[in-house]
Amino acid sequence: MNELIIGDDFIKILLVLVLGSAALIITQRSLVSLFSIYAAQSAILAAVALALFTREGTASLLFMAVLTVASKVIIIPFFLRRLLAVMPIKRDLEFHYLTPIGSIILSTGLFFVVYQAFSALSPALEVSRLFILGAVIGVSLALMGMMVIMSRRKVITKIIGYLSMENGVLLFSMFIAEMPFIIEVLIIVDLLMIIVLSAVLAFGIDSSVEAFHKRLNQLGLDFED
Amino acid sequence: MAEYLLYAVLNIGFITAISPLMLGAVKKVKALSQGRIGPPLLQGYYNLAKLLKKEIIYSPNTSFIMRLAPYINIGFLLAAAAMVPVVFLPSAEGAPGNVILFLYLLVSAKFFMALAGLDAGSTFGGMGSSREMSLSAIIEPVTITSAAALAFVLKTTDISEMFAAVLGASLAQYPTLILIGMSLFIVLIVETARIPVDNPETHLELTMVHEAMLLEQTGPKLALMELSYGVKQTVLMAILINIIFPWGLAAEATLPAIAVSMLSFGLKALALAAVIGVFESLMAKIRLFRLPSFFMLALFFSFVTIVFELLA
Repeated sequence: MNELIIGDDFIKILLVLVLGSAALIITQRSLVSLFSIYAAQSAILAAVALALFTREGTASLLFMAVLTVASKVIIIPFFLRRLLAVMPIKRDLEFHYLTPIGSIILSTGLFFVVYQAFSALSPALEVSRLFILGAVIGVSLALMGMMVIMSRRKVITKIIGYLSMENGVLLFSMFIAEMPFIIEVLIIVDLLMIIVLSAVLAFGIDSSVEAFHKRLNQLGLDFED
Repeated sequence: MAEYLLYAVLNIGFITAISPLMLGAVKKVKALSQGRIGPPLLQGYYNLAKLLKKEIIYSPNTSFIMRLAPYINIGFLLAAAAMVPVVFLPSAEGAPGNVILFLYLLVSAKFFMALAGLDAGSTFGGMGSSREMSLSAIIEPVTITSAAALAFVLKTTDISEMFAAVLGASLAQYPTLILIGMSLFIVLIVETARIPVDNPETHLELTMVHEAMLLEQTGPKLALMELSYGVKQTVLMAILINIIFPWGLAAEATLPAIAVSMLSFGLKALALAAVIGVFESLMAKIRLFRLPSFFMLALFFSFVTIVFELLA
C-alpha cells in the first residue's frame, strides 16, 4: 500500500514538471532552449509512462516509454538542432495576436476551464483522482501547444507547438483513453515526417508562413527560368 | 518565553551575520562563471567595516526621512528575519510568523527606501523610486499569489508551521512545492533586484533601480542600507530553502541541533547563492516593459499549484 502511495506521488511530481515545461515553452524565445525544453518534456513523459508501467504492468506503456525516448528525446531534437545550424535566426521574437504574457494568462484560464470540465465529468468516468489529474494536464498541454501554434509566427516554433500538442495527446492517452500502441507508432512516424520535411524545406524555415510562400514562389520562378 | 527570546536573538543574529557572506558568494560565483576572479568572499564584511568608519554627509535639501529611513528599513527587515526560522523551529504558541505580516514588513521596508530615494530631490533618486514602485505594483500580486498558494498547499499561514509541515514530510507528499519553488525563486530574483530585472552592480542611468535609491546615503547609513539588502536576500533565500529542502532544520532548541541547523543552512544557502550567481550570468537584463512576462511565469505556477491541489 505504502509503495503504491509513493508511486502516485512520483507521478504527481512528474506531472508538475510537465506543467513547468509547458509554461517555459510558451514564454521562451531562444530556439535552442525551446528544443531542449521539448526534449526534457518528452523525457518526463517517458518517465510517466515507465512509472505507470511499474504500477499497471501493461507492456504497451513500456514500449511507449522506449519509443518516446528514442524519437522525441533523441532523434527529433537532433534534427531540430541541425536545422538550427542552417537557419540564420536563433530567437523567435514575432507573435500573432498574443504576446507571451497574454499566452500565459490565457493558458491559466484554459487550465481552469479544462479542470472545471473534468470535475463535472469525473463521476461518470469512474477512475481515480490521479488519472483525472493526468487527463486534465494532458488536455491542457494539448491546448497550450495549440496556442503556441496560433501565437507564434515562425514556422520552426509552430512545429514545436505541434510537437508539444502531441505530447499532450500522449499524456491524455496514457491516463484515460488507452490509445492502441499502433496509433502511437503512426503518430511518431508522422512527427518524424514533419521534421524531415521541415529539414528539406529549411531554406525558408526562419520565415513566417506568408514570407515562406513568397520564398517558395521565388524558388518556383527560378526553376522556370 | 525564554525559548522564544533565545530563538529571536539567535535567528536574527545568525541571519544578519551571514547576509554579507551570501552577497559575497553570489558575486564570487558570478565572477567565476564569467571567467573573472572576482572580489574575496568576505568583501561584504570589509565594505560594511569601511562604510561604518566613514563620515555621514547629507544634502541640504533632505528631511528627517532621509535620516530615519535606514533605521526603519533595517528594523522592518530584522522583524521579518525573526519570522523565518533558520536556527530552530520555535514552539507554536510563542512564535509570530504570519506570512501576510511578513510580506507587509518587506513592503513597508521598500516603501521607506523609496521615500528616502525621493527625499533628496535628485533626479536619480526619484527615478529609482519611481521604477521600484512601478515594478512593485506588478510583482506584488505575484508575491501574494505565491504566498497564498503556499498557504493553501501547507494549510497554514504561519511560516514556522509551514516549515514544520514540510520538515515532517517529504517533497513527494507535496509535489506542487516544486512549482511554488519556481515562483519563489522568481520572487527572490525580483525582490533582491538581480539580473534580469535590475543590475545591483551598475550605476548607469538606464538600468539602475535599487542602487539609484541609495545614491544619497553615505557612511554608516549606507552600511545599514546595504546590510538590510543582504538581510532581505537571506530571509527570502531561507523561505525558499526551508520549504524545498528542509533537511537539517532543528525541531528543538538543543545546542548540537542548533549547530547542525546553522551549518546546514549555511551550506544550503551557499548552494542557492551559487545557483543565483550562475542564473544571473546566463541571463541578460530584460527590457523594463518585457518584465511582466517574467513575473507572469511565477503567477502561472502559483495558479496552477492551487488547481493541482484542488484536483490531487
